[in-house]
Amino acid sequence: MQETILSVRDIRKYFPSGSQVVKAVDGVSFDVYRGETLGLVGESGCGKSTTGRMTIRLLDVTSGSVLYGGQDIATLKGADLRALRCHMQIIFQDPFSSLDPRKTIGDTIGRPLKVHRLAGRHERFERVLELMERVGLDPNWVNKYPHELDGGRRQRVGIARALAVNPEYIVCDEPVSALDVSIQAQVLNLLQDLQQEMGLTYLFISHDLSVVKHLSNRIAVMYLGKIVELARSEDLFASPAHPYTQALLSAIPIPSIGKKPQRILLQGDVPSPKNPPSGCRFHTRCPYATERCRSEEPCLREVQEGHHVACHLVK
Amino acid sequence: MLHSSTAAGAEARPKAKNPLLDAWHGLLKNRMAVVGAAVLLFFILIALFAEQIAPYPADEQNWEHILEAPSAAYPLGTDSYGRCVFSRIVYGSRISLLVGFIAVAFSAIGGGIIGACAGYFRGPLDNVLMRLMDVLLAIPSILLAIAIVNILGPSLFNVMVAVGLSSMPSFARIVRAAVLSIRDSEFIESAVAIGDSTPAIILHNILPNCMAPIIVQATLGVASAILSAASLSFLGLGLQPPSPEWGAMLSEGRAYIYNAPWLTICPGVSIVLIVLSLNLFGDGLRDALDPKLKQ
Amino acid sequence: MEKTDIQENNLLQIEDLHIHYMSEGREIHAVNGVTLHVNEGETIGLVGETGAGKTTLALSIMKLIQKPAGRYAGGRILFGGEDLLSASENRMHHIRGNQIAMIFQDPMTSLNPVYTVGDQIAEVIALHGHMHAKQALERAGDTLEMVGIPRERANEYPHQFSGGMKQRVCIAMALAANPQLIIADEPTTALDVTIQAQVLDLMGKLKRELNTAMILITHDLGIVSEVCDKVAIMYAGRILEFGTLEDIYLHPTHPYTLGLFNSIPKLDQKISRLTPIKGLMPDPANLPEGCAFAPRCDYACPACTKTCPPGEAISPTHTVACLRHRELASEAGRN
Repeated sequence: MQETILSVRDIRKYFPSGSQVVKAVDGVSFDVYRGETLGLVGESGCGKSTTGRMTIRLLDVTSGSVLYGGQDIATLKGADLRALRCHMQIIFQDPFSSLDPRKTIGDTIGRPLKVHRLAGRHERFERVLELMERVGLDPNWVNKYPHELDGGRRQRVGIARALAVNPEYIVCDEPVSALDVSIQAQVLNLLQDLQQEMGLTYLFISHDLSVVKHLSNRIAVMYLGKIVELARSEDLFASPAHPYTQALLSAIPIPSIGKKPQRILLQGDVPSPKNPPSGCRFHTRCPYATERCRSEEPCLREVQEGHHVACHLVK
Repeated sequence: MLHSSTAAGAEARPKAKNPLLDAWHGLLKNRMAVVGAAVLLFFILIALFAEQIAPYPADEQNWEHILEAPSAAYPLGTDSYGRCVFSRIVYGSRISLLVGFIAVAFSAIGGGIIGACAGYFRGPLDNVLMRLMDVLLAIPSILLAIAIVNILGPSLFNVMVAVGLSSMPSFARIVRAAVLSIRDSEFIESAVAIGDSTPAIILHNILPNCMAPIIVQATLGVASAILSAASLSFLGLGLQPPSPEWGAMLSEGRAYIYNAPWLTICPGVSIVLIVLSLNLFGDGLRDALDPKLKQ
Repeated sequence: MEKTDIQENNLLQIEDLHIHYMSEGREIHAVNGVTLHVNEGETIGLVGETGAGKTTLALSIMKLIQKPAGRYAGGRILFGGEDLLSASENRMHHIRGNQIAMIFQDPMTSLNPVYTVGDQIAEVIALHGHMHAKQALERAGDTLEMVGIPRERANEYPHQFSGGMKQRVCIAMALAANPQLIIADEPTTALDVTIQAQVLDLMGKLKRELNTAMILITHDLGIVSEVCDKVAIMYAGRILEFGTLEDIYLHPTHPYTLGLFNSIPKLDQKISRLTPIKGLMPDPANLPEGCAFAPRCDYACPACTKTCPPGEAISPTHTVACLRHRELASEAGRN
């Protein structure tokens, strides 16, 4: 049995927007196992980034709990919260805005060590150089500024900064979406290597299903603030059960010619999270929707070992 | 292997540029800004070496030389008390620059903190602070300054407070806008994620990144502060005679505008020159620091 | 024989085009000798990474290269036999929109927020089709229906449309004047995958119905395989490999093309580790001598760093610009 490192239980995040409320995340539960990569996929606005940020308390939950090491991190304060930052880190999407333009690479990578007083001045510099080498950056660039680096290298700086405190759980929020394919492959390989060597656990957030499939052991599919399907990577791609997952998988353009799976075209757009549909949130676009789907909200249940689906129609 | 290849690729990359150095080169290319900087430097030097430059003390009266036209002994003539206008202008530059810089420093720090807090914390605090600033902004700044000086009484310090307070809202607004645009950047989020405290983030990450608009506003602010201080003194609410304040000199000279025009022309031209130089320099700074305006 | 074949239904001929532009005192070599032929009704995918010169090439066909920073440093562009580089600005104005239309990545930048979409499409039609406003508005409704938007929505403003719908409006606008060639620059990059599927489906359908030629610029080899007939792989301002879908997807020959395929995670295969292309894109102001890809190429030989390889036909439809393509092909054959 795998060891659970993080348990997310029914977390919600509501943002006020004028007189309305945006239900960005609306009741999401999952476990993350030690050493695995859990992929979190969905289209823009489905709440995947918000969910990721709540699991490391970068955003406060509106309700629900995130259990880590036997305590609910949603209620941590002060020194305890600061200590938590050494265990959980995040790698951001945009290598341009995730680095302070006025700080050198060395300052950026060394900052976590300084904040947590993990090393003296000299030691810190040594550790920064070591981290740079670890992520494939030339240590001679320690005094360079972010604008002197290309996107791929900036992303490596972001990875080095996340690794500085020796975390065990890292949220990767679309870490390769902004990169060209050849650079993307380099960064994906680096992430894999680091995971193996340091025993890291990843929550890998992306809209790119092929990238998620490549890295993840398990995948959770989100739609309008909810998880609609959660399964082992192979199972999800071999036999997607939720109609949304089926449509999503069939929509990916596959770079090959010849036989291609029948594409399921969804009608219309994703409804607004300010006013999500009643019942199953997908029923407005679902080709199989029934009366029950419109009124009763399906819950995420296990239909096969390790395969969870939130759909009334799946037996 | 990957490592060596990335290092090799580095040689092909464009040469690195320092943004500040870049701005400096941009500034040097702007001829008007250079002229502004030169005039400004000229006035600063005069203020610093007033004792050496001025031929007479500022309020030395010479009853034998009243309202004399410019001559070798009195380069810019004398006033109704026989004081050397040139010396008074030289000493007056000290007052103007001092008022300008200190008032702006006061409003930049005050407005900066208010704007940074409003921008960073948003929500109700933002609302309260910015509505307060809006109230200040709704009153014409010179009227506000007059009111403040009237309450506190006319003195150099009170003029600085009045001018500083009346220009605080514009700083608060500019800093707030800059902070708002920066605080949603992922690098601020990442600072939170590594456990940095809020004051550290504001000081360490946010303020350095909004220095450009603050510097520009400060330069332009000095010009308007000098102008406001001169106006107050002209109205008799600022520095009192016999201090050689340019606005006060202008006011005193008004009575003799037909028979001794140098009494009004000299302080007037001085005010125009220093305000113009600051504005030119500030405009140049803005263009140089704003990459969007660069060609 | 090849010559006559080209002239038969050739719509656009780009011959040895070079485009340079100045940026911060450095001369950027954005396009370096591109030769590309587009036949009527044909869709060509232009694939490459950031900085490959794809967008510059597209803009150059519309003669939208900004002067004086950018300049045509050689070559020519023939559209329907007419030399565009010597065409007057008036003539180009007529050609743009009327005969060549463009679809951009961000639909928001090409729609004017203060006019209704119907008015905007009608304006294109009225301008190029010499029609009355009322007639044009009627036609605008037809065009909207063609892209799957109910004609009632013609009275709405761009902000009332979602991202995918906006891109449909842009497509409608591009189609409004019934052009012979559409240049689409990353038309679906800003869209979600299910919306992208809708737009790609629409583009494929329109292509079959209207027989309009299209140049589709993208970095996504998946999209190309969905919509295009032929593929051009671009790198550092040159086309390294050109061929039909079968040529490129079944017999990729240039090491860069192979590298691209190896860099993308596959949905239909389980690969535990990707094989990325080493290194980075070269600096376009300081391109390496010889083949621009040589410094990143695993198969580079000393000759590659000296000679810039010309495009060589390895089959009637398949062209490769690589000195060692023969050895590589035989090597691939053995494996």
